Amino acid sequence: MASERPLLVATTPGASTPDDAPSPHPPAASLLPPAQSEPPLRADRLAFSVEVPDPFRPPYRRGDGPAADPSASSQQREREGGDDESRGVIVGEPSPEFAGNAIRTAKYSLLTFLPRNLFEQFRRLSYVYFLAITVLNQLPQVAVFGRGASVLPLAFVLFVTAVKDAYEDFRRHRSDRQENNRLASVLALGTAGEFQPKRWKHIRVGDVVRVASNETLPADMVLLATSDPTGVAHVQTVNLDGETNLKTRYAKQETQVRFSQNAGVGGILHCERPNRNIYGFQANLEIDGKRVSLGPSNIVLRGCELKNTTWAIGVVVYAGKETKVMLNSSGAPSKRSRLETQLNRETVILSFMLIGMCTTASVLAGIWLLNHRRELEFTQFFREKDYTTGKNYNYYGVGMQIFITFLMAVIVYQVIIPISLYISMELVRLGQAYFMGADKDLYDESSRSKFQCRALNINEDLGQIRYVFSDKTGTLTENKMVFQCASIRGVDYSSGKDTGGYSVVVGDHLWTPKMAVKADPQLVKLLRDSGSNEEPKLVLEFFLALAACNTIVPLVLDTRDSKQKLIDYQGESPDEQALAYAAASYGIVLVERTSGYIVIDVLGDRQRFDILGLHEFDSDRKRMSVIVGCPDKTVKLYVKGADSSIFGITNNSSELDIVRATEAHLHKYSSLGLRTLVVGMRELSRSEFEEWQLAYENASTAVLGRVNLLRSVAANIERNVHILGATGIEDKLQDGVPEAIESLRQADIKVWILTGDKQETAISIGYSCKLLTNEMTQIVINNNSKESCQRSLVEALATTKKLRAASSIGTQGPLLASETSTVTLALIVDGNSLVYILETELQDELFKLATECSVVLCCRVAPLQKAGIVALIKNRTDDMTLAIGDGANDVSMIQMADVGIGISGQEGRQAVMASDFSMGQFRFLVPLLLVHGHWNYQRMAYMILYNFYKNATFVLVLFWYVLYTAFTLTTAITEWSSLLYTVLYTSLPTIVVGILDKDLNKATLLAYPKLYGSGQRDDKYNVNLFVLNMLEALWQSLAVFYLPYFVYRLSTIDMSSLGDLWALAPVIVVNMQLAMDIIRWNWIIHAFVWGTIAATTVCLFVIDSIWVLPGYGAIFHIMGTGLFWFLLLIIVVTAMVPHFVFKAFTEHFRPSDIQIAREMEKFANVNQVNLSEIPMRGLS
Amino acid sequence: MNSHAAGTSNGGSGDAAAGGAARRNTRMPKYSKFTQQELPACKPILTPKWVVSVFFIVGVIFVPIGVVSLLAARDVVEIIDRYDEACVPSNMTENKLAYIQNETISKECIRNLTVTKDMKQPIFVYYELDNFYQNHRRYVKSRNDAQLRDASKANQTSACEPEKTTANGQPIVPCGLIAWSLFNDTYNFTRGNENLTVDKKDISWKSDREHKFGKDVYPSNFQNGALKGGATLNPKIPLSEQEDLIVWMRTAALPTFRKLYGRIYFDLKENDTITVRLNNNYNTYSFGGKKRLVLSTATWLGGKNDFLGFMHIVGGLCIFLAFAFTLLYFSKTKDFSVLAKASVYHYFSLTPYTSGNANPICGFGRKLGDHNYLSWNRHPAGR
Repeated sequence: MASERPLLVATTPGASTPDDAPSPHPPAASLLPPAQSEPPLRADRLAFSVEVPDPFRPPYRRGDGPAADPSASSQQREREGGDDESRGVIVGEPSPEFAGNAIRTAKYSLLTFLPRNLFEQFRRLSYVYFLAITVLNQLPQVAVFGRGASVLPLAFVLFVTAVKDAYEDFRRHRSDRQENNRLASVLALGTAGEFQPKRWKHIRVGDVVRVASNETLPADMVLLATSDPTGVAHVQTVNLDGETNLKTRYAKQETQVRFSQNAGVGGILHCERPNRNIYGFQANLEIDGKRVSLGPSNIVLRGCELKNTTWAIGVVVYAGKETKVMLNSSGAPSKRSRLETQLNRETVILSFMLIGMCTTASVLAGIWLLNHRRELEFTQFFREKDYTTGKNYNYYGVGMQIFITFLMAVIVYQVIIPISLYISMELVRLGQAYFMGADKDLYDESSRSKFQCRALNINEDLGQIRYVFSDKTGTLTENKMVFQCASIRGVDYSSGKDTGGYSVVVGDHLWTPKMAVKADPQLVKLLRDSGSNEEPKLVLEFFLALAACNTIVPLVLDTRDSKQKLIDYQGESPDEQALAYAAASYGIVLVERTSGYIVIDVLGDRQRFDILGLHEFDSDRKRMSVIVGCPDKTVKLYVKGADSSIFGITNNSSELDIVRATEAHLHKYSSLGLRTLVVGMRELSRSEFEEWQLAYENASTAVLGRVNLLRSVAANIERNVHILGATGIEDKLQDGVPEAIESLRQADIKVWILTGDKQETAISIGYSCKLLTNEMTQIVINNNSKESCQRSLVEALATTKKLRAASSIGTQGPLLASETSTVTLALIVDGNSLVYILETELQDELFKLATECSVVLCCRVAPLQKAGIVALIKNRTDDMTLAIGDGANDVSMIQMADVGIGISGQEGRQAVMASDFSMGQFRFLVPLLLVHGHWNYQRMAYMILYNFYKNATFVLVLFWYVLYTAFTLTTAITEWSSLLYTVLYTSLPTIVVGILDKDLNKATLLAYPKLYGSGQRDDKYNVNLFVLNMLEALWQSLAVFYLPYFVYRLSTIDMSSLGDLWALAPVIVVNMQLAMDIIRWNWIIHAFVWGTIAATTVCLFVIDSIWVLPGYGAIFHIMGTGLFWFLLLIIVVTAMVPHFVFKAFTEHFRPSDIQIAREMEKFANVNQVNLSEIPMRGLS
Repeated sequence: MNSHAAGTSNGGSGDAAAGGAARRNTRMPKYSKFTQQELPACKPILTPKWVVSVFFIVGVIFVPIGVVSLLAARDVVEIIDRYDEACVPSNMTENKLAYIQNETISKECIRNLTVTKDMKQPIFVYYELDNFYQNHRRYVKSRNDAQLRDASKANQTSACEPEKTTANGQPIVPCGLIAWSLFNDTYNFTRGNENLTVDKKDISWKSDREHKFGKDVYPSNFQNGALKGGATLNPKIPLSEQEDLIVWMRTAALPTFRKLYGRIYFDLKENDTITVRLNNNYNTYSFGGKKRLVLSTATWLGGKNDFLGFMHIVGGLCIFLAFAFTLLYFSKTKDFSVLAKASVYHYFSLTPYTSGNANPICGFGRKLGDHNYLSWNRHPAGR
């Protein structure tokens, strides 16, 4: 049935398109703004024979760099001239006008702790309400409860929170102190090149700081000079953006010269104001009468570590809280869970109920006073006057009395808005977080990371997710590129076997590449036997190309074994790393890279290759190439790139067979989901080389249009290439990703993939993780202008409608409906198009289209676009969104989505830091949402409703009594019981149930993902349920109040005894209600539910054992009568009958899916049923 | 640095703890039944059997209790006599307040009661006040329990306003409105010539006498103010023995209440006439309250009350429900289900207990745990 469906756009599903080639820039790097046009390697200054270039000599270098580009620098000047917001820094002169380098993450000091902490705490509205009530209660006219008693709960809550905050702040203080007191070498004032240790906190903007290898940078600095004569420094930015690879930064040649000679201070630096953008920096430096322009590649940021560079000198431009890392550390925006937002609606309803009750009570009190106003003086129970003073006592006239009664009523009925609910919710979330963290199914063995709840206030949102936005690299895939197979000269070598790896002997050390790749034994043999034969030589060339044609920096790491060293290939592209490791496994080991040459160990023979030139990857050419001077004095061009790109520059005629065979292999690789690259080589003649060298030098030093010139130089030399072969690299999917996505889809969760990858790569990953299937109709939006975007959106929408209409006509019967609804659409949007769509009026069109589609893939999206897509859904629907990602580029979307999840994989911690939850694997999303999310949601929803219900029950009991006290708000229940009711008598069981109760087993929830729907539909928390609960509260309060009322109406019963009954009965009733709704009774829940009733009784005993209270002995007295016990029994039964009837009826006659699944758990073998389910699901 | 960055680069709450957790998180979570939320648990489900039996059992328990309490209540005999109106002399019915406030008018009043049924001793003598808000907030608070208990705390009169001290600042013991308004009607009973003495001993709670009202606390400055609220107390007798006061100070829960006056240890025969000689001192006329004299016998359930009525209603209802549910569960006739749908289904169709997709009413007597009832199996298309 699938094949009959028309494809909207001609794409070949399953096979990734041939130009799906990895670029030298990994996806993460491609999101960076284009680096300055300085080539990473100064090939222009290297000649055949020059061993160590002299950085100070070449006169023609003057023109290099954008600073010398008049158009660029004038533009920059104009911009900066008009920009008053720039800051000027004199190099070497610490300026006190900018922020110092001391950091302060702590919120409070000893002095400010109390006021600030209280202020922060009272930003919660509920606390203000609580405080207002307490203050009200301090007025003698209004006081309902004793002063101490009423202050106690609020004071307790505030105190506990304050202690927690103080402890956290103490830890921050400690780490601040450590950080601030670290030492750095700072250029001493007035000296030339004399560095003295200085504490970090004393470093100021303008200081010149010297950093040694492996040291952490104390502030954001512009590099002035490094140990490398060309001014190169490598930094690791793992603390900043989470990327573990080394980044190259440059000191400007002008400053490099000056500072490496210790020429001392001088120069004025103008830079932009501190901002959060860690990828952007603009400044210029006036030095020696010249103006040098500086960009992001000239600045190193606080928190990075200097690597692989002996030393570096820089001038501090941003310090302390103005550094980019600190500006980026504002933390995740605090999120509120959806339930908590919905709960506000009910709180408002309850507030109206409260006001209504207070108004009723006070108006009735006023009427009573008016009716009796002539009798008040002589009525024994009122006696208006105090005859010792002759004045009215505590009576201020009817109007005032109404007002006072109103205020008192507010105090008495305040608990109808359950303040304790907020604390209970926090505790429940804490408990839920503990269990989520302790779940062994969420523990990642490979990274040894537990699940972590970083935001403690949105646990229950996990049960209501409708949209999942996922990053690709590192989230769906492992971001571990592994070389899988190679096709060399038309021969496929893909039967890799595990080998011990290959090591190089250097002196008396053994250097081993960090990662071994499975090597094909046939290929190894071929390499070993390479003699004078032509073919084996070309095989060797193939591996030489892999080892040489890249920008990988080998780092030699020590191991515990002093004889052993590890070679770690660092580079910006994981593909290149994989290729370098692959070459190393076959014995062609890249050992060393300096600025002019590389050393490769070719099967035990160390050889030096001069890097004469490098043509960077660009998206037009889709390839990169290097010009290498080989030890045998030949010059070779190695090129690698996308197949379409390389096949275009081969000399087709001579090697047609090889090209054909390679193409066939490439097709095979890409259909396996591998990323493919084609490698080629060309030997250059002396004349060709010289011609090229001249052109290259001219181009590199050109003033105008340098990029284009360089490109044409590259295009000129990259031709007539011999195909060496092709590689297949696996971008490994994480474990269980396809299954996880399938489960999420079953649960009606839409999974969108937002990736920085190319469209083809994204689609091929879409297929390999089963997001896309062959049955789907693909809609591709890939345009370069707003108009065309609009056109294709409108077209796509029209087609969608047509498809839907067509499918619904053919199928009238309900049975067939199942088939037609599987006309699934997949939308593939390109980042370019998104530029024209997001934040314009086209957004709505996209939204309509996207919601029609069951799968959405967005490729080539920038970090902010990711957030924009999340916002697209978030702002237009009530549906909950979840974003999951692992890299710094996912931070914006993680913060934008309702729930942000960080994968704590290898790409550092930036995403984790911004996330609400962090875990080790994408597939954990399934147990997290379907199991824990479901549990959390239903627990929390029940707990909130239950808290509303139980407090309303109690307040209504109080209210009915007021009708029989001349509306004077007397409570028969002692004030202690009134206060303890919410705190002790009823709160603990709901907290425990909120943490422990499970409606369904983990296995059932995983087997039937559709059960997740109850959270998506708000089944467990909505206004209807709230009203139902309030009706139950009404009925139960009537039962609790009026049964004793009618029984004791004409008796000698005293207030305290009846009060005790009215305190105990609601506690039992609400706990019975809870008991009826608990699904899983384990011993802890038993202990808490029954224990609470027992504890309440004990509390009543204790309160009635206090001599000074009027109720002394009452509970013992009333419990001594049989009537009390029978009455209690009948109260509980009468109160519970409606709930029981309702429950029995709905559970049997209108069962929810959850109910049926519960019964299946108990009466049917779930697993067995599940087995028979699978084929059914497969059909539909 | 790594862990520090973890601490500093998010300023949000709990970051220090998170940093600490990051350091510790390299451990495999300990596996136990508790941490995996797999504690052995009982999972009750309201199966038809359970529902019907619960209703049936409740009904079966309640009906016998109702019968027993019916038998008990049948034995209770009550004689109630309202006397506040009747005791006002006919010439003063228009101005009852003047009557009660005028100390020169004798308040003695004689009432004749006829015993309707045999009454076994002890016969409890109550007075019943109506419309008297002993639970009025002003009134309830106006007492000081420390003062009542402890002679040394006689000066503690806080909360006793407006009956706190005398005009010259002497503390009143017992202070407060409650004590001040002590009921002061008295009753004497005769049957023919036979004097039915009222035993006023032990009418109060033992715990009150022993712990709440001091043995060495004597009334002082009591009822010395400009307005007398009620009875005076003998300053020679300690509070612990002033049982009328102790009874009075157990404030009643409701505005209509009875208080024990004493007990008569005589059996009364049907049609006996009892003469009550009472002093109608207490002023209920100022607020329109009623006074009644009640003679009553008691059973193990106390006096007459509405309890058995509730028992019968609830017990009967439960038995009815048991039958109703049995019928619902087992009935398969079309007519019945149509009826049920028409009435119950439409009512419940709005209830949110069920999932959002409107489930049709499931067949009566459906099989429990049948996966065919799952919403997506019933409508294979899903939502």
